[in-house]
Amino acid sequence: MNSAQIEIQLIASLVAIACAIPGTFLVLRKMAMISDAISHSILPGIVIGFFITQDLNSPLLILLAALTGVITVVLVERIQKTGLVKEDTAIGLVFPALFSIGVIMIAKNANDIHLDVDAVLLGELAFAPFDRLIISGIDVGPKSLWIIGSILMATIGLLIAFFKELKISTFDVGLAASLGFSPALIHYGLMTVASVTTVGAFDAVGAILVVALMIAPAASAYLLTTDLKKMLGLAIVFGVFSAISGYWLAHWLDASIAGSITTILGLLFLVIYLFAPSKGLIAVMYREKQQRTEVSLLTFLLHLKNHSEERERHVNHLQEHINWQKVRAKTVLDLALKNNMIVIDKKIVSLTEKGDEFTSLAIDYIITNEDAQIEDMKDDFFLFRG
Amino acid sequence: MDKKLAVQIDDLTVAYNYKPVLWDIDLEIPEGVLMAIVGPNGAGKSTLIKATLGILKPIAGSVSIYGKPYNKQRSLVAYVPQKGSVDWDFPTTALDVVLMGTYGSLGWIKRPGLKEKKAALEALEKVGMLPFKDRQISQLSGGQQQRIFLARALVQDASIYFMDEPFQGVDATTEIAIINILKELRKAGKTVIVVHHDLQTVPEYFDWVTFLNVKKIATGPVKDIFNDDNLTKTYGINYKVSIQE
Amino acid sequence: MDIQEYFSLVFSDYTLRTITLGTAILGAVTGMLGSFAVLRKQSLLGDAISHAALPGIAIAFLITGAKDSNTLLIGALVSGLIGTFWIRGIVNKTHLKSDTALGLILSLFFGFGMLLLTFIQKQPNANQAGLDKYLFGQAATLVESDVWLMAIVTGICLFVLLLFWKEFKILLFDKDYAKTLGFNTKSIDILITSFIVLAIVLGLQTVGVVLMSAMLLAPAAAARQWTNSLSKMVFLAAIFGAFSGVFGTAISASQNNLSTGPVIVIVASVFVIFSFIFSPNRGLLFRQIRFIANRRDLELQKTLAFMYRIAETHENISHPHAIKILNNFQGFTRKTLQKLVDKNYVTLDGTMWSLTEKGFETASNLYNQQAINDE
Repeated sequence: MNSAQIEIQLIASLVAIACAIPGTFLVLRKMAMISDAISHSILPGIVIGFFITQDLNSPLLILLAALTGVITVVLVERIQKTGLVKEDTAIGLVFPALFSIGVIMIAKNANDIHLDVDAVLLGELAFAPFDRLIISGIDVGPKSLWIIGSILMATIGLLIAFFKELKISTFDVGLAASLGFSPALIHYGLMTVASVTTVGAFDAVGAILVVALMIAPAASAYLLTTDLKKMLGLAIVFGVFSAISGYWLAHWLDASIAGSITTILGLLFLVIYLFAPSKGLIAVMYREKQQRTEVSLLTFLLHLKNHSEERERHVNHLQEHINWQKVRAKTVLDLALKNNMIVIDKKIVSLTEKGDEFTSLAIDYIITNEDAQIEDMKDDFFLFRG
Repeated sequence: MDKKLAVQIDDLTVAYNYKPVLWDIDLEIPEGVLMAIVGPNGAGKSTLIKATLGILKPIAGSVSIYGKPYNKQRSLVAYVPQKGSVDWDFPTTALDVVLMGTYGSLGWIKRPGLKEKKAALEALEKVGMLPFKDRQISQLSGGQQQRIFLARALVQDASIYFMDEPFQGVDATTEIAIINILKELRKAGKTVIVVHHDLQTVPEYFDWVTFLNVKKIATGPVKDIFNDDNLTKTYGINYKVSIQE
Repeated sequence: MDIQEYFSLVFSDYTLRTITLGTAILGAVTGMLGSFAVLRKQSLLGDAISHAALPGIAIAFLITGAKDSNTLLIGALVSGLIGTFWIRGIVNKTHLKSDTALGLILSLFFGFGMLLLTFIQKQPNANQAGLDKYLFGQAATLVESDVWLMAIVTGICLFVLLLFWKEFKILLFDKDYAKTLGFNTKSIDILITSFIVLAIVLGLQTVGVVLMSAMLLAPAAAARQWTNSLSKMVFLAAIFGAFSGVFGTAISASQNNLSTGPVIVIVASVFVIFSFIFSPNRGLLFRQIRFIANRRDLELQKTLAFMYRIAETHENISHPHAIKILNNFQGFTRKTLQKLVDKNYVTLDGTMWSLTEKGFETASNLYNQQAINDE
């Protein structure tokens, strides 16, 4: 590994962390698509900034472009407020328009401006180490490293300072307002951080990868934990992991680094989406099947408790009257027998004492809306699960 | 009772995300009643209607309409959904919405013609909305929107009407207008089933009532069963289910 | 070339005619289908689908090695559909919200597509596949066969739209109700979604994945402001879309260095802004004017009501009173008084005013109405 390679990986990792932090909150606040809008609409800001500063890495350009990001958010909200179009249509209208303005501005000034739309959208991390920051003659490292490093420091500082406020306003806007935190301030603060991060990172990884780095690690973490701090931590780990392994994938395939990082992010999300222990697809489908059987079992027990007449309690009634498929009826019956909930005597089903107790408790919980208790109760009563 | 059964529900159980909402409901609704379904919030009143109409899939149980499964008897049934369930800013007129009531009998592809339009206009007339037939639906008041929904069901010319909270958020005039139409329907031998919130108007409006709170508490003529006992059983705080032996 | 030249050339010049026709047809079909996307609150789905189509294009190229745009479009269609159904899978089976699902699919598919594109470019036989044009679109690469394809798809789309118009409409407005009527809502839903995906894929070559969603939304959002009828909205959206295509092509052809996609989007956005402000029923301008007019009416009514209360106390309703007493309450100005005179509600005599029969009646009606509203 040469120093350029290390620097690229370092930049990519810092970008990943800087994106994961605001990204976690965007995902939790159901605003993931706003990051997509920002990532596109900063383009005119970058172009104007470039006219003024003539330097893609100037802090002024970053601020100007970030401002366009915040303007996008405001514009979207304004349009939503008119009620002329539905919620997300506003987002879909604003960012392509701003992006197009940016593209046209670049095209019209192609001679003065050495900016490539592809580069803005896709970035070229491989070139990042060549643009060095030189302070009084001493090479202190690549410029992008310094930029994204400072943005990350600022983000972490803000996160630590306002963690409590962010947490409360994310989960309970009403409470946050009543405690005196202005939800609007936090909202626009977050939008500003997201914009600044997007602008700071586009040069290295491109605008679209910024979106991927914001959403995918956070969404993956969301499927694994319900704790905000753990979610932040996991999102950062996933981001850095993808950044580094993505780099090596690109190295091996000789392809775009940004594309490779995104692909790793995609694979990571796919694996977690499928296999996450409780929120993953397989777990959900398994649980749904189990719960279907268990709810069927409860239904069946309740039915027995409701009806003393033998006709209603005949084994065949399950199929005829309750309208279950044959297979499911058998599964349910077996499960009930295994758990000693019922006895079958001459094809007439009756509740055992345990079954009776279980059913009465279940009814209580359902009526009082304490469904969570049923799950606990199942652990107490069931020897075998569905 | 020697009357025919309009609706028969057997052992109906429904769960949302495997959270049980309706449990083992047995319900028989005789033909020609004007019935209220009452119960606290979250008791599963709307769910009962939706499961009966096949909008939600129950995990157990069966529904029959005049002795046959529901999907063979669709033409006998009309539905008035909750007003809040649709986007009222949708670009369409009052008449257009009412015409949708004819879509079921038309089947796929065929368009409503003069006959359907005439029926729709008559229904609009019945609910007193004829002057507003060309209004965009967002420019109608809440009561007027509800009347449009009612007209749409009337156009279906069904035998059984299911209505989900038709009195919610309507003005007094509309409420009277609607209840008069419902009573007319009953007089014509139709069966009307209404999810209802306002307990005070039950004896005045309805002749049949079902108390529901996840389980069926009671069902029968208002004069026989609309009493404190059943009300406490349905709405009471420390309520325990009584098992009917 | 300036715009005038463009319009004189458009009928004679083959390339220009092809491009113009292509963008016009594309605008029409996306406008039409976009109306459905907007009304279903799936505005951003288009954005996700267009990005999701990118890896499909690259894979189709890797497999067939063909530059033939039809083959590539099939790849785009397949991966667009996979993206769409994966979004549904994420929303239905996990607790992730729909916007997260959209953002995920959008960025991940796009990134994967970029990986493949850069990979392809480094291949020796890449013959400069020209796949980049799918990023931002290049209307200039449209050839007659592309336009034919667009026209055929648009024709099919129009046919299906007319055939299932009633079903589409009821599904959009009230899905549950459609179910109770016995319609298979799932298949109608799949039909609409598939056509939306098809339209998006069709536009990729011209407008590109990044801006495609605007083609879907902008004409529909503009059209919605002008009409309250679904059929007119779909029709208008098609017109707006087609005009955006034509004007966009004209402007970009008459300038150097302007790619067509962004210009079309800007033209479509201008349609949107114009519609938002100037549409007579919903537009912001007329809404503001109506608001001011209402307030003025209210002031007028207040004055009239006040006069009515004074006049009521006299046997003769037209008994004159001093103008001075009117100044005692808000809402009265010389102007409102003059208005009342103009409407023949009030007559003036020097510093005295008196209510006319007509004014008295109107005022008493106002009172009754208010009493009814208060009930």
